[in-house]
Amino acid sequence: MSESASANAPKPSSSVKLVLLGEAAVGKSSLVLRFVNNDFQENKEPTIGAAFLTQKCSLPTRTIKFEIWDTAGQERFASLAPMYYRNAQAALVVYDVTKPSSLTKAKHWVAELQRQASPGIVIALVGNKLDLTNDGGDVSEAAGAAQGESESAQNGDEGAGEEDEVQDDVSGDARKVSTREATGYAEEEGLLFFETSAKTGTNVVDVFTAIANAIPESSLKTGRGTGAGTGQTSLGNRSAEDSRVNLDDRNAATAKEGCAC
Amino acid sequence: MIPWSSFVQKAQSLIDPANFNIPALSSPDHNPSKASLFRQQFRLPDSQNPLQEITADLVLPLPNSSANQGDGSRKVDRAGNTYTGRLHLSERFICFSTQPTSFIPSATASASTAWTGQTHGTGPSGNGFVLPLSCIRRVERLHSASHVFSLALTTWNGLLNKQQEPNLVPQRLILQLVGSRQACERFCDTLKKGLREGMKEVDNLRTVVTDCYSEYLLSGAKGKGQDGSEADTRQPPDAGLGLIFRYPGDARKLRDRSKMRLWGEYFRENGRNATLIRQPTFHKLIRVGLPNRLRGEIWELTSGSLLLRIQFPMLYQQTLAKFDGQESLAIDEIEKDLNRSLPEYPGFQSEEGIGRLRRVLTAYSWIDPEIGYCQAMNIVVAALLIYMSEAQAFFLLSALCDRLLPGYYSTTMYGTLLDQKVFESLVEKTMPVLWDHLTKSDVQLSVVSLPWFLSLYINSMPLVFAFRVLDVFFLEGPKVLFQVGLAILRVNGEELLETQDDGSFISVLKSYFSRLDESAHPRSENPKLRAITRFQELMVVAFKEFSGITHSTITETREKHKGAVLENIETFAKRTSIRNLGPESKRLSVDDLGTIYDRFYETLYQWEQRQRVIEEETRRQERKKSQRLSMLAPPADTQVGRVGLGPSPTHMDYEAFREFLAATSKWAVADSPGPSGKESLSGKSALWANRRQPADHEFMQRLYRKWATNPEEGLDLQNVVNGLARLKGSPDIMNNINYFFNLYDDSGNGQVDREGILKISEALLFLSRRGFEGTITATPSVENLNSTADRDHAEDSLTTDEKFLGSVSAFIRRCFEYADPSHPENRKEDQQDATAEATEKLDSFAIGDDDDEEEDLIDVHDAKPASSPAPDATAQTAKSTTPELNSDDHNRSTSESANPALDPNNPLHITLPTFRMVVLADELLEQFFESYFPQSFHLSDHPHPAALAASSSMSSNLTTFSNLGSIRSSGLAAGSAPVAGASGGIVPPGKGLRGVLDNIVSDGIRMAAEVKKRMDEAQRDLERNALGREEDEDDEDDEDYPRRENTAAAIPGGIPSWGAGAYGADTERRSVVRDADRDLLEGAEVLGGGKEERTSLLDGKDDANHAPRKVSGSAASAKDGGSPTARDGEVISKLVEFES
Repeated sequence: MSESASANAPKPSSSVKLVLLGEAAVGKSSLVLRFVNNDFQENKEPTIGAAFLTQKCSLPTRTIKFEIWDTAGQERFASLAPMYYRNAQAALVVYDVTKPSSLTKAKHWVAELQRQASPGIVIALVGNKLDLTNDGGDVSEAAGAAQGESESAQNGDEGAGEEDEVQDDVSGDARKVSTREATGYAEEEGLLFFETSAKTGTNVVDVFTAIANAIPESSLKTGRGTGAGTGQTSLGNRSAEDSRVNLDDRNAATAKEGCAC
Repeated sequence: MIPWSSFVQKAQSLIDPANFNIPALSSPDHNPSKASLFRQQFRLPDSQNPLQEITADLVLPLPNSSANQGDGSRKVDRAGNTYTGRLHLSERFICFSTQPTSFIPSATASASTAWTGQTHGTGPSGNGFVLPLSCIRRVERLHSASHVFSLALTTWNGLLNKQQEPNLVPQRLILQLVGSRQACERFCDTLKKGLREGMKEVDNLRTVVTDCYSEYLLSGAKGKGQDGSEADTRQPPDAGLGLIFRYPGDARKLRDRSKMRLWGEYFRENGRNATLIRQPTFHKLIRVGLPNRLRGEIWELTSGSLLLRIQFPMLYQQTLAKFDGQESLAIDEIEKDLNRSLPEYPGFQSEEGIGRLRRVLTAYSWIDPEIGYCQAMNIVVAALLIYMSEAQAFFLLSALCDRLLPGYYSTTMYGTLLDQKVFESLVEKTMPVLWDHLTKSDVQLSVVSLPWFLSLYINSMPLVFAFRVLDVFFLEGPKVLFQVGLAILRVNGEELLETQDDGSFISVLKSYFSRLDESAHPRSENPKLRAITRFQELMVVAFKEFSGITHSTITETREKHKGAVLENIETFAKRTSIRNLGPESKRLSVDDLGTIYDRFYETLYQWEQRQRVIEEETRRQERKKSQRLSMLAPPADTQVGRVGLGPSPTHMDYEAFREFLAATSKWAVADSPGPSGKESLSGKSALWANRRQPADHEFMQRLYRKWATNPEEGLDLQNVVNGLARLKGSPDIMNNINYFFNLYDDSGNGQVDREGILKISEALLFLSRRGFEGTITATPSVENLNSTADRDHAEDSLTTDEKFLGSVSAFIRRCFEYADPSHPENRKEDQQDATAEATEKLDSFAIGDDDDEEEDLIDVHDAKPASSPAPDATAQTAKSTTPELNSDDHNRSTSESANPALDPNNPLHITLPTFRMVVLADELLEQFFESYFPQSFHLSDHPHPAALAASSSMSSNLTTFSNLGSIRSSGLAAGSAPVAGASGGIVPPGKGLRGVLDNIVSDGIRMAAEVKKRMDEAQRDLERNALGREEDEDDEDDEDYPRRENTAAAIPGGIPSWGAGAYGADTERRSVVRDADRDLLEGAEVLGGGKEERTSLLDGKDDANHAPRKVSGSAASAKDGGSPTARDGEVISKLVEFES
């Protein structure tokens, strides 16, 4: 896959544990499915406990292998979440742009992660179901990230280049959470921020690329979960070559300079 | 052989605790009731209790069909026609069990493909039966030569169908009771009674039984249909979606038909459905996998849910009808998942299947609202529906949630988390090498295994195999899940040892599950060995190698980890809940919030628990009348009272709120110590350990209404936190004053009327009646201290509490003084006069009495020379005294004259600015609102920095009060102690202190009530004499102003002399005096004894404004103060009037 895509010698590869959190039915699993298989299913089985998937992301200087923990969204599964975000280096906190309560829930998750997860965890706030809004699926980079690293991610594949700053004026679409509100919150908390559509694929890969870029190099060297303080043993070679998850031809097609997922 | 095996069984039944299905989490004291053990053992509905039990031999007639294929297992039957065990009788059931144990060596060889031996299970107890009494058609007493007490039971087996079955031999079993004649007779008596009751339920039984596939199977209808020679005489009963959409798997490969034949034969010999008798073959037949069409029926039979269905045959339909069209959160959640439950099964791509799933999940969410709906239930129910009808699935789901998977689907999922811990610890114990590896590679096992347990392997393994696991699971209980889980790890052990992370770990298992149907030994020479599939291998490992994992293993391990798991959940819940409290809560410290959270739920749970006890009692009394729906309520011994256990009450009503306040503030504790001993309190908050009855005061009701968003619904945590945050959050006195005012601003128009003013004063007295815990200090004067020095240990005037009472009466007076008329037309000049007069009256009643008593102090007790200058001083300085003189002089006349201020036609009110002014005019009141009031709500031991700063200014006299049990940092107490000692006025608190304080305060409250009463009287007087009062008022008016001026002028010097004189007396002496006074007034009990202990050390500046008021107030309340004015006699007489 990425080895073949790039002419370079095998780049340093490291694993990043990423956890998805958010209210039920905001599209966590769909985001992952889009990212991993470039696929979308209307009726996805609810996640019981958590689903585990992996996907590689090739950056210019290194390869990141995401180990994605996709958690169940139903409220009562929340007490299981610590089990999954333990040692996570990155988190995707997802809400539904058509459902304000889901942003509230997302904020709760952000607060939980900031206090309980590994210090230095990279958190991205993601407003999903952009396809249900007037902005439709052709919006990219709904907002810049609060962390500077995401700039490099802006030349991602899908829908890149169409900057759309103002999406606040909502007219008759299903959007209930304004971009401004979410951006403001994300900036306040120092989160990466994106609005995505798992259905159309808008911005999905960008999110992961931005996260990959935002992971500090130092934490990659020691494997995952740096500074988690829970005494986990770090593993240098986390079987980087192992691509258990079927990465389809899409990788080759999208292997540009940015993320080659 | 027979005697030997029965002997072994008997012995083992005595030894093995595993025979009892100990209810997993239902034992609050680790000591489950016998009734619950009994129900667990036989999977009976919760309404059942063990009534009789006796040792017995079960004698089964030899199989009448001689055409058995001897497949080896038959021998066991022939040999085991007599079983020895225990016979139990409950209200509706007769149960027999040989209680086979896990020690019985498996009947089959270890390498065999047929692992069909005894399952070491504690399922429904091996061999025996669980018969509803309604199944019994006849009982005969057999007369045998030997002195054996024998009963022959004939059942309805096969006789409930309309059509006569061919070759049906009525089922008859013989029980030989082993026991004393008396015991046997007793058993028979109870049985007789039960049978009579049972007869009423034969119709229920018939309804349910005729739906069973077994009846259809044995009726012969099926056979005829298959022949095609005759049309089906009846429709086959609903055996799940599989009948329509095919059952998963290849029926031929599963040898479905031969299994069916074997079951048919078993049913014929041992009875079917409700009348089935379990013999070893039963267990074996289940182990080899159930035939599709019988699967649902056997599941509900082994799980015990059939018994529930017999009890409430129409519950499912009734529930659906009852809640038809209603909506709920659970329904929303269910709808989201309907399309994604076993979508690979064609039945769930159809409206038919989805409709069934919807109905079952919805109905269950209604009857068990505490669980509602949990993701994973959709998958489990979908699987059940392939093999059983909706009603069957509904009852089986109930058995799952209540008994087989306790706490799995609860709102906190504590059962799931707990069993993950249990599983991990079992892995550690049985596979230490693998466990080490997992720990080293930082693979968290539960992330892999959690879905196995939560959805019963249904979406982990291919369906066909998951159902095989379920077959055994329903028979033998939750331990099967553990055994299978351990076996999966064991079988894959080597590969798993090579994995380095979660990902590879998961993928090894994934690929294993996908190849379960392949040969376990593909390269073996031996074709038999080659024929063994991986799944068969897995089952052998699970039930042979891990046969040591019994129900008691699980129960014990659960017990071990339960505390930690619940604590984790609770920490998480608390953390989350506190964090989500919103911006208002940020005004309180995290510790405070934690304390509120803990106390809130503690109160709620205790409250609930008490309600439950009461309920239980009521129910016990009503039990005979109506039977409790076991499904509708959790078992009586279910543990409640922990957040971690799941659905928790979230709102407290006023009654519970009172309890909460009583745990928070001393003033909220009732004066009369209630039957506190009875109510046990968990020792969590030691400081409040001796539970006290909460008080009930109007103020608390106001607080409740103020805090509640919806008083009907009750207070939730958010309400309480917001309420407290507003009180304690800002150290701003204005905020507190405003808050208090708003509490009494009933109309919300910024005005508090006369009634409100009096209520406020009552509340002030109510709040202060237990002392101030040192947050309020009356400032003593230098003179005071001097005078203290003068006299031998003379006390330094009044205690803060006494002074506070004075402040309150001054408060009332001033309120009326500065009140605005509610009707503008009354806003005449005379209004002020009127107010003044009202004030005056108050003075004469409320405050005057202290003066008179002070006077008494001097007059009656000459032994107090130092107090002689007091009258003058007081007259000059204490503003209250001067007018009182006058007012009392013309008290009678004025009280008879009308006063517009007291005229109901001239309502008056105070506004917030007035209220504020009045409060700030008095040092004690100011302190009350600044520090005492907010601080009287005790939260964490680590108060917010602001609060701490405030409390550090606490005066020294708090030493006395701190011992009453208020929460204070010991450092402060220690720091203040020397000061207190230096004052010389501190007397260590005696035991009776509280009582004394209570007396004083209740006196104060009574005083306020009297003031009110007096006001009303005066009002009536005024109404009568509506005229001719102008001059009087003018007079008073004139006096009023100078008085105030005097007061102001006297501040520097007046009070000290007054204090030294009138109140500088030695405490003991004072107490004597007071006793005398009290005797004078009402001959009441000792009061002064406590006063000395409450003596406050007055430090720092003096303030004439509060001191005299304090005096008068305390005197008023205690009716034993002293006032060096002339008109005491009158007042005394008045007080006497009041008392009488």
